Amino acid sequence: MNKLFGRAWMIAVYIFLYMPIVTLVIYSFNASPLVTVWSEASLRWYVALANDGDLIAAVWLSLKIAFLSSLMSVFFGTFTAFALTRYKRFPGRTLLSSMSSTPLVMPDVIVGLSLLLMLVSLQHWLGFPERGLFTILLGHALLGTAYAAVVVTSRLNEMDKRLDEAAMDLGCRPFQVFRLVTLPLLVPALVSAFLLTFTLSFDDVVLSSFLSGPGYSTLPMVIFSRARLGLNPTINAVAAVTIAVVSIAVIASSIYQSRAERQRKREVAQAYSDANQ
Amino acid sequence: MSTTATTDSAKPSAIRKMAPQELLRVEGITKVYDGSVKAVDNISLTVATGEIFALLGGSGCGKSTLLRMLAGFEKPTNGKIFLAGKDITDLPAYKRPINMMFQSYALFPHLSVWENIAFGLRRDDMAKGDIAERVESMLSLVQLDKFAKRKPHQLSGGQQQRVALARSLAKRPKLLLLDEPLGALDKKLREKTQLELVNIIEEVGVTCVLVTHDQEEAMTMASRIAVMSEGSFMQVGSPDEVYEMPNSRQVADFIGNVNIFDGIIEEDESDHVTIRCEECLHYVGHGISGNVGMSVGVALRPEKITLSKEQPQSEYNWCAGEVVEIVYFGAHTTYHLKLDSGKVIKAQELNNTRDLSCGLTWGDRAYAHWNDMAMVVLTY
Ligand SMILES: Nc1ncnc2c1ncn2[C@@H]1O[C@H](COP(=O)(O)OP(=O)(O)OP(=O)(O)O)[C@@H](O)[C@H]1O
Ligand SMILES: [Mg+2]
Repeated sequence: MNKLFGRAWMIAVYIFLYMPIVTLVIYSFNASPLVTVWSEASLRWYVALANDGDLIAAVWLSLKIAFLSSLMSVFFGTFTAFALTRYKRFPGRTLLSSMSSTPLVMPDVIVGLSLLLMLVSLQHWLGFPERGLFTILLGHALLGTAYAAVVVTSRLNEMDKRLDEAAMDLGCRPFQVFRLVTLPLLVPALVSAFLLTFTLSFDDVVLSSFLSGPGYSTLPMVIFSRARLGLNPTINAVAAVTIAVVSIAVIASSIYQSRAERQRKREVAQAYSDANQ
Repeated sequence: MSTTATTDSAKPSAIRKMAPQELLRVEGITKVYDGSVKAVDNISLTVATGEIFALLGGSGCGKSTLLRMLAGFEKPTNGKIFLAGKDITDLPAYKRPINMMFQSYALFPHLSVWENIAFGLRRDDMAKGDIAERVESMLSLVQLDKFAKRKPHQLSGGQQQRVALARSLAKRPKLLLLDEPLGALDKKLREKTQLELVNIIEEVGVTCVLVTHDQEEAMTMASRIAVMSEGSFMQVGSPDEVYEMPNSRQVADFIGNVNIFDGIIEEDESDHVTIRCEECLHYVGHGISGNVGMSVGVALRPEKITLSKEQPQSEYNWCAGEVVEIVYFGAHTTYHLKLDSGKVIKAQELNNTRDLSCGLTWGDRAYAHWNDMAMVVLTY
């Protein structure tokens, strides 16, 4: 009885989560310009997408911002995490640790609004920065740094501190310890922090809307504004392409991870059976 | 001068010969954590070149803290450390000619065995060819030539332990620190590895400070043992000194099995002492520093007791009881004897014939006796 309920619940959740996505993908192949009425299968909207300069420009801009801002986030997040986990006492530590997690809990609207106010007054006094690519990057990097710091901190906390000591014992100065031991072991965490902040940046509407200037519309902004004017199936096509790219990436990475894990288990078992011979 | 040298070399060197030269000197070292926890309390010690010095003690007594101060990972609150006459108290870990083999090894998981061993060498300005040569020689020292390309997780526990040893020896440190080097191995492998480890250390000729909470390990491996408790040394001496002449109840109790009788000194002569206990009268065949009427403990190791079914003729150094437990160990058997006072003592008999040596069984009345040099009088 319980089991049946559990299974039913699971199916309901899956339907709830994936039905909209599946519908969206199916309707991107719909020939009819009406989003809700199915007529026949066609690639019409994909062709329209290929010819829609604005939309393509927005995709590129979003990719560019996501890429650059997540690089920045990972960079700053790593150093924040490192300072917070490895140095237990320095002036302003508590301030840094609470400040670094503030963007996680602060509503995006507030963050965006305060950043906008700051940038406007900066521009007023200094004549720069012009709102556009740079200011969006700044906002996304700010938010991303907080997320990246969380991911890297948890990895640093579970890392064996004796490895650092061993490196120092063998003659590494503190920075060499970081470069030769900590950083290589941090790579998986850096990759996941990068992926996380990339997606955060790629689908952000709120911060981007506050911080962008004329001529700098990211993909979510374009979709959002067009959706307000009435849905156009081209958007379905964009979404379907995005979903395809993301799914391929996610599936590939999980296959890779489970393979690596299985390989590792086999090697450990092999080591012990070798030793017992 | 020359006469001392001849007597020295004439001595059979059952334990490794102690070079007279002092390598490590620690003066009044203290470590206080967070202003209140005294982990190490005013310890002084010297270790001679070539010695294997063991720090032995229960959990939390400050062994690791002392070792970490030697390595340079913790700053002493007080005191000084000298290595080969040089004050190294304020030298950072990466500048000390000291290497450490870590508990659970701390091998770098992202590097191969070869790279792990070469890691320390690469930090010095050593020529590539020399590094390769040194790594190869280390690999053959620990018999892991075939495993050079493997990653640490592709090795068994014992193999990882040998990589860790090779890595800590590769830089030819003046002093090698070992923190529970065999803690992660199972019992059987541990016994085998203890001797292997000592052989390798002797082959290289490096001076060692070893931390362990296993007294057998300290006995097998070390030339000198310091028994620690609550941040201080209780006794420092060779394994046989610490075992045969413990200076306190705590040491006697910590090292091996012991029966302790409480008694009062009845007679105190320069060549013997008699001590009256509830269970029996002890006649100790050597003088002690004590006074008549003083209450003392008499420590008696189980293997120094002989059991028999007949009552001994002598008026002292025996007691009688009922056999309540027999534990067979193969090479020897331990009998638990419940004395008339209710105290239970242990006596260990060698099984040197194939039938059970003294034919005792559960419930038998037995007499335990020992000779007048078997016990140690503990004044505190
Ligand atoms: N970093 C630290 N901060 C505060 N107290 C500590 C710290 N490290 C150790 N201590 C305390 O110092 C005392 C000695 O610890 P230490 O690790 O030296 O013991 P140990 O003899 O190595 O014990 P074990 O056999 O369990 O490893 C303990 O009471 C421990 O709680
Ligand atoms: Mg310890």
